Amino acid sequence: MATTDRVPVTVLTGFLGSGKTTLLNRILSENHGKRIAVIENEFGEVGVDHQLVIGAEEEIFETNNGCICCTVRGDLLRILGQLLKRRDRFDYVMIETTGMADPGPVAQTFFLDDDLKQQFMLDAIVTVVDALHFEKHLDEMNEPGEQVAFADVILLNKTDLVPADALERIERRVRAINATAKIFRTQNANLPVEKVLNVGAFDLDRALAVDAAFLEPQYPFEWAGVYQLEAGDYVLRTGAESSAQHAHEHHVHGPGCGHDHPGHDGHDPGGETHHDHGDHAHDAHADPGHDHSGHDHDHDHGDGLGLAVLPATAASSDALAQQVEPAVRAFAEEARKVGCEGSLEPGPGLNRIDVAHDGTHFTLKVARAGAYAIFCEHAPAEFNLRLEGRKPAAERAFASHHHDEEIGSIGLSDPRPLDPAKLNDWFSYLLQSRGADIFRMKGVINLRGEARRYVFHGVHMMFDGRLERPWGEAARRNTLVFIGRNLDRQELEAGLESCVAPAP
Amino acid sequence: MKTPALLEPRASATLDDYVTDLAWSADGTRLAIAGGEGQVFVATQASASKSLAVSALGHHGMGTLAVAWQPRGTIVASSGQDNAIALWDGVTGTERRRLRPAMAWTEHLAWSPDGTQLASASGKKLSLWSPEGELVHGFDPQPGAIAAIGWDKPGRDLAAATNGAMVIHRIEPPQYATRQYKWPASCQTVSFSPNGRVIASGMQDGSLHFWYLSSAKDSQMRGYPGKVHLTSWSGDSRWLASNAGNEVVCWDFSGKGPEGTKPVQLSGHTDRIECLAFQPGGPYLVSAGRDWRLALWWPGKAKQSIDAHLTDSEPSCVRWSPDGRHVAVGERKGKLTVFEIVKLG
Repeated sequence: MATTDRVPVTVLTGFLGSGKTTLLNRILSENHGKRIAVIENEFGEVGVDHQLVIGAEEEIFETNNGCICCTVRGDLLRILGQLLKRRDRFDYVMIETTGMADPGPVAQTFFLDDDLKQQFMLDAIVTVVDALHFEKHLDEMNEPGEQVAFADVILLNKTDLVPADALERIERRVRAINATAKIFRTQNANLPVEKVLNVGAFDLDRALAVDAAFLEPQYPFEWAGVYQLEAGDYVLRTGAESSAQHAHEHHVHGPGCGHDHPGHDGHDPGGETHHDHGDHAHDAHADPGHDHSGHDHDHDHGDGLGLAVLPATAASSDALAQQVEPAVRAFAEEARKVGCEGSLEPGPGLNRIDVAHDGTHFTLKVARAGAYAIFCEHAPAEFNLRLEGRKPAAERAFASHHHDEEIGSIGLSDPRPLDPAKLNDWFSYLLQSRGADIFRMKGVINLRGEARRYVFHGVHMMFDGRLERPWGEAARRNTLVFIGRNLDRQELEAGLESCVAPAP
Repeated sequence: MKTPALLEPRASATLDDYVTDLAWSADGTRLAIAGGEGQVFVATQASASKSLAVSALGHHGMGTLAVAWQPRGTIVASSGQDNAIALWDGVTGTERRRLRPAMAWTEHLAWSPDGTQLASASGKKLSLWSPEGELVHGFDPQPGAIAAIGWDKPGRDLAAATNGAMVIHRIEPPQYATRQYKWPASCQTVSFSPNGRVIASGMQDGSLHFWYLSSAKDSQMRGYPGKVHLTSWSGDSRWLASNAGNEVVCWDFSGKGPEGTKPVQLSGHTDRIECLAFQPGGPYLVSAGRDWRLALWWPGKAKQSIDAHLTDSEPSCVRWSPDGRHVAVGERKGKLTVFEIVKLG
């Protein structure tokens, strides 16, 4: 099967009013010479000459006894099937989903239907986020988080309507949900068309690129800075004095690794086509559906911001690094509450400062001159927290998944070679037990005794993986990213650990 | 065993279009053709000639989706990606009427067996039209988008295959009473058995489902490697043929029925079957697949195909003439061939 002549498909999601249609119209009207067929699930606003716009009613089919991970979009099956009956094929297909759509079935449609898999190639899921309303929607509904979680490209749109500090916070929440998508800040959904088309996010040939910080060990804090301080009182201030707004492209992370469906539609990772060629048999009505049990999840979101101020040996990044371990211990301790305009001192414990009121301040009492490292639970920018009149001599951001979102990303990185059979077992178990909660997964695996990288990609229980180019001189390492609901880092780490091949 | 019948190619034509659908005229002398680029054609079989005379009736914007020839009449109905239904005179070639029943594609058209009513399906919308194009009845929206429609042999019932249910409408105004046979999967086809006992549907989830019309009792047949999008009954209602990857699977409805039995599996194609049709009133079955092969079968009597022909490109549509004497085969690359079934000995 030639993969190159498959028609790329972009799935466009986002709430009503997010700017989805604006983006679509922009893409259609731009002079790129491509023939684009648009499948719209919300009628009306799109209409550009020379482009085919097809109205469709979103319809979800179950393909496998009611399993929610095996749902596909029936309307797409029919419409795309008809589009194949043309000689002058389209260069591109864009699917605009309704505001409340779950992108899962759309993506799965391209894994599950043999005809579509051979003719179309899912290129990327693009989600437009209305910066002004995103947080409210995220707190009230499931769909905005899911749409962000599924995305390969996210437009943080309407940035002109949101103050800079709020935008930082919103982007952090988006990033906390989806650690691997490319995020672009836009106004009027304005960005170059090539950022959205031919992204190749589902192409297994393209390398998995993940922000290195995301794969670092996780810390209970997101930022640290080291200061040289004289003895005396210092003011820690929050709020106001907003910084200049960033405008353009932001946080460019590489595309996720993708896939090319080699005739695979089972739930069984590891490569072989998995069809149930059972004997034709008559069956009484089986109970349709298997259940995917949910997991409970609690949020430990204390009130206030965790802060540790630790003496350091010098105001340098090396000295700051030395304090990371003590800081982890400090963050494990019971916090001392510091109210508005209260004071705190350097020392081994954890403080929790009350940042509920915008524009408050605290006093840091330094008894002895020296270098001090401040570890902050969230990035100070989120609260515009600063030590008045001082700049850190060195600072560092830490990967933290101490976040509030029910939906999030977990990245694992480990250099040890894995055992193929054990990996297969783990993936099978994971897809079956957690497939409903894992929206996207992708990774590169270092298999023992294998010169080539094993790359994989999944949407819910749909899985595609194969051996790709050789490691060559590159350092061999497993990199796995999971995006989903209520993911359990310890469970995933233990799963990966169980796959480590014994030393030969 | 001696082959009892063969398919003899009689005439052909090449259209510059993908054949998406075909419909024979009631007398078997003409064929209406739906083209993937939007054209609607009529082909006429000139006697003593190996070629078909093809003329274009008109156009449906970006693509023609379906075509249906009125039984006992001359009206050709077509629908396309311009969201329209057109009614043509298939003999004179004039356009009689153009309807726009919905802001969506009308994907399916089916004339009642007596040719007095035309059923159309657009998304969830099912409508009945007179031959003149007047709306006779608009049904309440169906529970899901309609994947197929079909009439029973007497024309009393019209069924719509949807996601989650087979919906059967009794065509008796003013009530148009409705029965729903629910099943949590997506019905792909509608096949009433000619004897009126059973309605069957192929399923998206790789199974075949059927309901006994007298009792609404149903059964599910599993084990298919993928979507079952083709079902066809033998004229005597004994066999129900269905596609199962490269094989044709035939269930035997004689005696106590197919439950608990092994079906007849017909092997010979080397790639997926895309077209399947039993001979009207006869015992033969034609299949065509992605292996560019047309095969003739005699289910229950011969395990191997009794005749086969290679096509010029992938077959896209196979239709028997109403009298069961001819088979028209349309291809993706536009070739149209009419075969005649020739009985031997």
